[in-house]
Amino acid sequence: MLMPVPMPSRLMIFLAYLISLLLSIFLLCVLKIMHPQIASVFDEAENRYLKPDEIKLIGQYVASMPERLDTYRNLRDREPEIMQAVVDQLEAEFPQESEENLERCLKNALLMLRYCGLSLLVNDETIVQHRFLDWVKPLSQAYETKAVDSKLYRLLNQQLSKALSPKQMGYLSPSLSLAQDGLLSQTAKR
Amino acid sequence: MISVADLLINNRVPGNFFAPDVYVRGDLEVGLLENRQGDRLLAIPETLIQAIYSGLATETGQAASLVLFNCGKWWGKSFYTRFSEQVGGYYSQPIANLPMVEFLQALQECWMAHGWGKIALDQSYQQQGFLIVKGWNSAFARLAPRKNQPVCHLEAGVLSAFFSQLTGKDLHCIQTSCESMGADCNRFLLGIAPRLAPVEAMAATQDHDAIMSQLCP
Repeated sequence: MLMPVPMPSRLMIFLAYLISLLLSIFLLCVLKIMHPQIASVFDEAENRYLKPDEIKLIGQYVASMPERLDTYRNLRDREPEIMQAVVDQLEAEFPQESEENLERCLKNALLMLRYCGLSLLVNDETIVQHRFLDWVKPLSQAYETKAVDSKLYRLLNQQLSKALSPKQMGYLSPSLSLAQDGLLSQTAKR
Repeated sequence: MISVADLLINNRVPGNFFAPDVYVRGDLEVGLLENRQGDRLLAIPETLIQAIYSGLATETGQAASLVLFNCGKWWGKSFYTRFSEQVGGYYSQPIANLPMVEFLQALQECWMAHGWGKIALDQSYQQQGFLIVKGWNSAFARLAPRKNQPVCHLEAGVLSAFFSQLTGKDLHCIQTSCESMGADCNRFLLGIAPRLAPVEAMAATQDHDAIMSQLCP
């Protein structure tokens, strides 16, 4: 049996309009909070309209959002599986290393993955520098875990390449390289 | 065998509790600054620090340094309590169980997040029973009236109380070099009071290295 589809009432049209308005305001607010480059663009709103390349920047970020969200979800859901594969190989590679040291390196790698995930979502690599590198780098220098870290990152990157599509890796790579290169380089903290 | 699930505590991996962009929060509407737990933070303007120095000098004269040191001790006691609650809660373990490296780094980050400058521990005289804390960019040194002796009495008090609480021993603290006198950093010497007694007189006339070579020949 077929039911007639009711015509949308005025109230429903109004509600739909209201919801779309609220959504666009919400999106603008989220954009302003999340994306540092875009935030600076909005800061000058009272002086001028946005230039074409600035509008393009917003367009590119918004267009990349579904992919970024997919990458983030994928990373979140597969974190245990990716990391367990890395753990198993790492233990085989470093049978002499103490479990405590390996666990410390692995926890740092988990932390790195989570900050890189956040960084790809909001397209802000300074998160990796300020919240991850500034904290973990002095610790890894104090514990002298460079050899384990270096192998760990190679294994992690292999697992990530298997779990994520090339395009998804493209979103994750900049922050991941920043974190890994920053940690493995010898230079002082700040 | 290491399991990833065991590495996570309640699906968390603790990082830097005191990351400044997360730790300090403000609410413009009510005009409040808070930390990430919702505890109030107080922003102290430079004028107030200068006023504290000049007010104390007028009211108490020579005793101003002692007053500041004792205020610092009160502050340090509460600071230790807050620090151990925050850090212990964040890492889900008492701070006594934290590895030394993590503990010190949390303290450095905490110091920095509160805008007190940078600190580092020098443990070269630990065997002789002394601990040296080095500090950079202290507002209390920068804004103090220029004298020919170290001026960071408030910080000395804070450090004395903090490390006394931490070690369970009554530790005194004397500043042996000061940014306000052109030194590269502020150095605070911590140890038990009887052993630090001769340093009180030396601190006004001698530099840090000279003091240490007499203290630990």
